[in-house]
Amino acid sequence: MVAREKLNQLKARFGPAIQRADLPADDRLYLFVEPAAMADICQCLFGELRARYVVGIGADDRPHSGSFLVAHNFAFDTDHLLGSVLTYLPADRPALPSIARHVPAANWSEREFRDLVGIEPVGHPFPKRLILPDGWPEDAHPLRKDQPWNEVPAGYDADREFAFDDPPEGCVVVPFGPFHPTLDEPAHFRLYVEGEVVRGCEYRGFMVHRGIEKLAESVLTYNDIPMAAERICGICGCVHNVAYAQAVERAATLHPPPRAEYIRTVMLELERLHSHLLWVGLACHIVGFDTLFMQSFRIREPVMWIAERISGNRKTYALCVIGGVRWDITPELKAELRQVLTQLETEWTAVTHAIESDRNLQQRMRGVGIADADLVRKWALLGPVARAAGVAIDSRRDHPYAAYDRVEFDVITASDGDVWSRVVVRALEVFQSIRIIRQCLDRLEPGPLQAEIHDELPIGRIGLSSVEAPRGESHHFVMTGENHRPRRWRVRAPTYQNLQGIPAMIKDQQLADMTITLGSIDPCFSCTDRLEAIDIRSGQLRVYSQEDLLKLAKDQWQ
Amino acid sequence: MSILSKIREAWVGIHAGRVTLPYPAQPRPVAANFRGRPIFDPAKCIGCGGCASNCPAREILVLDVCQELRILKYLGRRCTFCGRCADVCPEKAITMSHDFETATPAISDLQQQIELFMSTCQRCGRCFTEPTPLEKLKLSGYRFDDLANERWVFRSKSFLEGAPPVEDLPLELD
Repeated sequence: MVAREKLNQLKARFGPAIQRADLPADDRLYLFVEPAAMADICQCLFGELRARYVVGIGADDRPHSGSFLVAHNFAFDTDHLLGSVLTYLPADRPALPSIARHVPAANWSEREFRDLVGIEPVGHPFPKRLILPDGWPEDAHPLRKDQPWNEVPAGYDADREFAFDDPPEGCVVVPFGPFHPTLDEPAHFRLYVEGEVVRGCEYRGFMVHRGIEKLAESVLTYNDIPMAAERICGICGCVHNVAYAQAVERAATLHPPPRAEYIRTVMLELERLHSHLLWVGLACHIVGFDTLFMQSFRIREPVMWIAERISGNRKTYALCVIGGVRWDITPELKAELRQVLTQLETEWTAVTHAIESDRNLQQRMRGVGIADADLVRKWALLGPVARAAGVAIDSRRDHPYAAYDRVEFDVITASDGDVWSRVVVRALEVFQSIRIIRQCLDRLEPGPLQAEIHDELPIGRIGLSSVEAPRGESHHFVMTGENHRPRRWRVRAPTYQNLQGIPAMIKDQQLADMTITLGSIDPCFSCTDRLEAIDIRSGQLRVYSQEDLLKLAKDQWQ
Repeated sequence: MSILSKIREAWVGIHAGRVTLPYPAQPRPVAANFRGRPIFDPAKCIGCGGCASNCPAREILVLDVCQELRILKYLGRRCTFCGRCADVCPEKAITMSHDFETATPAISDLQQQIELFMSTCQRCGRCFTEPTPLEKLKLSGYRFDDLANERWVFRSKSFLEGAPPVEDLPLELD
């Protein structure tokens, strides 16, 4: 109904610019529009209809329709609707007006399809390279179908260094990364620092871009991809595994049996438990509080062990195939899992009671790295970052998948939008996960683990799937294709959006707070790897004496 | 009160006691369905090549030396122990062992090679019954994977009409 309603609203406004629409279910809406109207429709969706921007996708569809394809996905969270606005572009002139001026969150997505597919977003506010190294030739686009998966194009200069923008006047450049003790993965930030205050930064990432989407579209097949998908991320592997399987199932209208859905929910929540425990530990480690770092990891370990007992591996669960799951939860495992949850609940309650009034922690975390609700909306920030700013979005409730529509849980929010709020949100979500797993175990009904698939999957269908990873929403877009593999598979990990908000979050902050601000979004570069700069006010150079610094520090921490 | 919070934090730590295990001095038993490195049983294998076709990491190679002789080689390098080969094997010739301490200076320690006398099946791989249509053999008939350089012989194909197919690239091998 909601999908129909939104379609009618858009039709009344744009009329013939909407060529056709597909409403495969109540919670999905696919709109095929004219390229010229794309920017206006997206602006209307984001501005007037208050949709959340999800991701932009570019695809080479020339072998099938003779044209390029661009899609912008939006989510109506309160209406439980995911939508995609698609348009076909002529093969000889793949260009369309950029939407990034109206929808800032589309900034990276547009640059990404310019790099990888060669579709030009005309009028983009910051048309710098995002993913490809600077030495890569201009006319080679890895995700085009005529570019083989294993070819390095002629003219590639591996030694060419990245061209950085000049820092603003009065600022000193402090390089942060690619290797830094608080970064688990390579990414480079050039911080523009005035005295001790960060005035801006330029980000260069995508150093571990592995071309996993290309691999899926050219070498792997439907049931191979889940095992590759879970290697996108070292923490939320299961999330990508499930999200991919669900996107394909959506496209092919397959329904996994209820037992499989409950098992997926249990494994996803186990993953949230260990990720939240790990992150709270790491956040404490970054601010130098190693006691809690150690204790979080100790409390986390039994979760890993039970995951190993259920799935055969402590981290890479290899859980899903299309249409179901591979591992069962036996009655013995169920009893063991309940025991682990009881112990975890007791221990985590002790930890949360201990840290709730810890002033040292709060001095480092309160008022640091603030992302308010406006920033959340502008950059489409996700997960605990959004919820800490009081924006109650959670895919588990807003776009239910697996068995989340059959369990009860609360969406935890806070109001300050600072690092401390994020700690609070994540620490408390642990208890909600325990609650969800218990309900799933109660309701786990006997039945098959996999749906029966008798026919090959249909071709050219679209599937969208959002899964709430511990860090925020992971979104997968799949277009089914020939030879048992998708034509296009696009993964948008939560860090992809959250990193875009970092320059605004660290602006005018102490340099020392950079690490914990970055750490607080729980960045996952291998998920994202896929730059950013903001301009800053150029101030006059000030020299601080030691007394000034001490005074500043005291003012801030009192 | 912050001091109270410090006492509580200290209690969490003291209360836990020592948790470090004496591994590797004492081996830690693994769970019953733990997935370590796969073991191939040549006595059961019928050479259908289903495992090779469905290995997500492409770690199993098939080489047809002649009409009657087929060689299967497990490379043991990128293998992630996902266990898909054991899932699809129609003869249950592959078991996921409990062996996970696989660090070695010589990769050949992990590799397994099976030479099979084939009577009829190698042309079509028809002995492989796929669980769903999604597991159908991608390459049936004769296969000539490159055992010496340990890679699938994979012809990259240009998908656009009229564009010439692209040959395999010489890969740098270690």
